[in-house]
Amino acid sequence: MSCHLKASSGLAAQWQASAHQRAGVNCMDCHQATAADADAREHEGQVIATIVSPKDCGRCHTQEVEEQQGSVHAEAYAIIKDRVPALAQNLTGTAVQAAGCDQCHGSLVKVRGDGSLDPATWPNSGIGRVNPDGSKGSCSACHGRHLFSKAQAREPQACVRCHAGPDSPDQEIFEASKHGMLYASQRDRMNLDAAQWIAGRDYTAAPTCVTCHMGAAGKLPATHDVGLRNAWSLNSPVSQRQLLVVLEDGGKLELPASAPVPKRGAEITKADGTLGKVKSVATPERRRQAMSMVCQECHGKPFTDAFMKQFDAVVDLFNGKFAQPARAIMTGLYAQGRLTPLPFDEPIEFTYWELWHDEGARARHGAAMASPNHTWWEGMYLVGRNFYSRFLPQARAAAGDRSVELVDAQLTGDHHQWLTDPAAGNPILGTDIPEAPR
Amino acid sequence: MRWPGLPRFITRPVLIALVVGGIGGLAFTGFLLEFDRFTSRNAFCTACHSMTYAETAYQRSTHYNSASGVRATCGDCHVSPGLLAATWDHLIGGKDLLKQWFGPDDDDPVVNALLLPEAAFAARAWFRDRDSATCKRCHTMEAIQGKRADTAAIHRDETAGKTCVDCHYNLVHRPVPDQSTFKREAWNRMIEEEFGLAPGTAGRMMADE
Repeated sequence: MSCHLKASSGLAAQWQASAHQRAGVNCMDCHQATAADADAREHEGQVIATIVSPKDCGRCHTQEVEEQQGSVHAEAYAIIKDRVPALAQNLTGTAVQAAGCDQCHGSLVKVRGDGSLDPATWPNSGIGRVNPDGSKGSCSACHGRHLFSKAQAREPQACVRCHAGPDSPDQEIFEASKHGMLYASQRDRMNLDAAQWIAGRDYTAAPTCVTCHMGAAGKLPATHDVGLRNAWSLNSPVSQRQLLVVLEDGGKLELPASAPVPKRGAEITKADGTLGKVKSVATPERRRQAMSMVCQECHGKPFTDAFMKQFDAVVDLFNGKFAQPARAIMTGLYAQGRLTPLPFDEPIEFTYWELWHDEGARARHGAAMASPNHTWWEGMYLVGRNFYSRFLPQARAAAGDRSVELVDAQLTGDHHQWLTDPAAGNPILGTDIPEAPR
Repeated sequence: MRWPGLPRFITRPVLIALVVGGIGGLAFTGFLLEFDRFTSRNAFCTACHSMTYAETAYQRSTHYNSASGVRATCGDCHVSPGLLAATWDHLIGGKDLLKQWFGPDDDDPVVNALLLPEAAFAARAWFRDRDSATCKRCHTMEAIQGKRADTAAIHRDETAGKTCVDCHYNLVHRPVPDQSTFKREAWNRMIEEEFGLAPGTAGRMMADE
């Protein structure tokens, strides 16, 4: 410690101002290691590990780590592991994985034989980091070390390193919403430093990301499973209402609600292929109920329910009008050999990818968090534009002589009926309404 | 016969013995000095192929490439100061020659890399046993300022009971963990990856050697 007051004194000064310091939690309480640990190293006569993993934090913060393990955050690396090479290796190069992908999703930290941490995988505080001790996640993804300030983690800024940008612009959405507007203008009334921070009791000025996704509200307890209250999957090609299966070993599993609900005690295959025993299952209704309990600290129940209906309607619209037909078209083109299985070697693959991964996600997130701009201009407008003006022409070109069967046959139902009446004029374009040719 | 004015015991044979002994002693001291100088040269140390691996890393280090133009040679760090100690080190160092001839095939880059950690542990122990005497040839504790404001303060306040090598290791040659946290299996895996060898090869090679 006395060395670090001189060298890298910033971290020592942060610790000195921290609740850890006041509670007598010192360097070695977090950085202690045994010589047998994969990443153990000698430092000034002590055996330490640089990486403080959730397992280390869990020595004191047991409940938080139990909640965090198995969450979408903890699994953020594992969830995309098989998909990453298509973008990070084929489309660009591995250099971008360490500095880009892995900085949010987390890296698989590699300890080299000489005890050093492989710079291709470290430094990294991505939220799904796979640590040398086997634990998943990085508490410091949200909790800036070494101050570990509660107020800092409650700020929306705690999330923006990753929840920003074209595919999950949650920072921009929040800031553009009424919630974000109130937060910005009433931040001094947020009571961010309070020991306990229960929405509706300790603060009412505005919600932050934490408030809705993790925070305590009324009787609803706080949780470190950030996806717990999410009824929908919003970042998938087609949104699904989802079941949260909690396993007896502490693991968790998201299943589409269309799948049969697994019984308590049943064995189930986990994402990594191993078996787990079902402890409990949270239905999407139950998860929605939890989220609504937060809303209802400030809003009435009819208001909350109606808001959720507006949100669900956007997701259903995206699914039914764009996501399902587009996926069916792509599936058909692949099945008939009109596209190669290799992703991103054909322009339509970028179009399809962005349709759900970028503008599609923006529209759905915008509706979930009440930003009209993101629901529409940044979201569903672009979904519509790209579906009709890029995706369909590219799909028809790829399908060639079979475009009616492979493409147009998927555009059934009322959603695309408007195309069958080309004579229906409208002043939207700012031109004189052309007369329909007789 | 004796010269007048000299003590009785200074006889001609004694005088001859003194002169011959004196000249011989000077010559022998000169020989030792030259011997130590000769055997401390980088060129001598790297005459064995096995030592060229250590040399490659050394040539990338600050001890070789210092902005001030000061360059530490093999002997500056690895041979004790003082004629007798240096001679002794060279005598003991002779065992390295025996190992080169009769020991493991250190000329093989894989064997060399596999056995490097034990060599590093031995070298660190050697520095520690001598209170980092060879470091202090050039580095004077009181004069250490460093480029950062904290360097001088740390050396002034935080070094009681410590010797240079306790903190400063892995400066020149390929980094090797401290012995307390060294893991042979992980080291072998790293070397296998580096040389494109099948897993398990390193263990078999070490058993053979």
